[in-house]
Amino acid sequence: MTDPVVMANTLSKWYGAVIGLNGFNLEIGKGITGIVGPNGSGKSTLFKLVTGTIKPNSGTLLVMGQRPWKNPQQLSKIGFCPDYDFLPPDLTGREYLSFSGGLHGMQGTSLDSRIEEVLAVVEMKGAADRKMGGYSKGMRQRMKIAGSLIHDPELLLLDEPLTGTDPMVRREIIELVRHLHKDHGHDIVVSSHVLHEIERMTHQVALIYKGRAVASGDISEIRRLMSDHPHDIVLEGTEMLALARLLLDKKFTVSLELSPDRRTLHVKVSQPEEFFDEVPDLIKESGSTLERMESLDDDLESVFRYLVRW
Amino acid sequence: MRTQLHTTGLLTLTWFSAKKLIVHRRWVIALLIAILVGAVMGYFATEVEEGITAASDLLNILVLFFFMPILALIYGASMIRNEIDDRSITQVLTSPMDRRLSYLGYYFALALVLALLLIMVTTIGWACFFAVKGFDAAALELLLGYLLTVCIGALVYSALFLVFGVVLRHPIYLGLFYVFIWEDFVGSIPGAAENYTIRHHLLVVASTWIDYGDVATVSGSAGISAMVLFGITVALLAIGSWAFWNKEVP
Repeated sequence: MTDPVVMANTLSKWYGAVIGLNGFNLEIGKGITGIVGPNGSGKSTLFKLVTGTIKPNSGTLLVMGQRPWKNPQQLSKIGFCPDYDFLPPDLTGREYLSFSGGLHGMQGTSLDSRIEEVLAVVEMKGAADRKMGGYSKGMRQRMKIAGSLIHDPELLLLDEPLTGTDPMVRREIIELVRHLHKDHGHDIVVSSHVLHEIERMTHQVALIYKGRAVASGDISEIRRLMSDHPHDIVLEGTEMLALARLLLDKKFTVSLELSPDRRTLHVKVSQPEEFFDEVPDLIKESGSTLERMESLDDDLESVFRYLVRW
Repeated sequence: MRTQLHTTGLLTLTWFSAKKLIVHRRWVIALLIAILVGAVMGYFATEVEEGITAASDLLNILVLFFFMPILALIYGASMIRNEIDDRSITQVLTSPMDRRLSYLGYYFALALVLALLLIMVTTIGWACFFAVKGFDAAALELLLGYLLTVCIGALVYSALFLVFGVVLRHPIYLGLFYVFIWEDFVGSIPGAAENYTIRHHLLVVASTWIDYGDVATVSGSAGISAMVLFGITVALLAIGSWAFWNKEVP
């Protein structure tokens, strides 16, 4: 078995009274790994610890076998693309890449040719000589990724690269991330608060919530955990009482609540997939008509809350 | 390999940081200061009898006494602090350069830009004065003396205010205290208090090559003052680079 690219063992980081990571355990292997968690869950803190811009309060963090804090040499193997926009608006894309390369000790023709390579990879050749202040959000994301690639790192850290981008740009960046691993061999850790976006890049994910890794592994495992957690579902229509009676006999029904006007039924189910499979037959059998059906907590936040209790 | 990384990294950081400082909108302040110094010196040249002595005293008051520490404070205290606040420092912190060396890159950029700005301000003031009084060899000698002084001042004040920006969240307050309370007020109290100011040691050193005006009459050992200035600069750089090396940037 190959050594993990990132290994965190009971890692904790606090900002005063605010928890960044708390007893965080995770192993990230080669390939593309998705870090998924809601805003404030600790994703960015993890990246800052991995790049050594902050130091852990306790626990162990090894990146490619080494501790990152006060270890600048390690950074020659890591490329970091943060979630915030820091590109200097007065510089052109090419000047920015020249700056990034220079900070990694690159110069002369080798730097110039690497800049051309990277611009081709992120498809920004056409805009390379324009000031970055005039770039669109998608172009800025691409240029940020280009800056993190300039020194050809082994490990690429992409913090929320899809945030604030439109669907078209999102699709392009997802393709770019896959391409960077498949064709250029970079190991990539990419974060997002949207699971299905990560799912389009990789099947290897870790879920983070409130500073802890609550689940990690293949996405099918995560999906199973998600489907296991009780769902609140709202059904609206006619003859809801009859439908409620039928649902009461089902094993997956945890609780039922019918509104006074008997048009809205709140159902808590333990096996949502079974529920969704059976509901058409139950509606037919009860003679109800369904006008609306909605899962109230089909968002990631509710899954995280469930997993933490679990 | 590490040597090339550090040399190239240092030159890159110095060059880009200097460019960033120059194109920053603060250049308007520097330009206004230059115009003000030029206007004041030009006006005084029409009003006073003395020539070179008055020019020396005016350059001493306007540049050495006031605008040099003020410009150093404006540019130096905010340099690294601004990069931390707008997060553009990420690029530097996630590069494999030793952070202590990165700090020196910022310092060289700051000292270079500050020296250039002070050279501009001093030269404009000098030119406006002697355009009225007439240029001669002594005037040129005076200019060179002040240019050398402001270059040394840029090196020392840059080291001072850059460290403020690394160790303090709001460096401007301590900077203002140093310039206006410590150097201007405490430094002017008769006795040994002035020995604890950068300006005094700078004037002692400058007195060896400026032969006109109050600067020429400043007493003290130029050698000791030069060593004090050198020691202060090195100590401040050591403190700043140590603080930067240990600094967490969330």
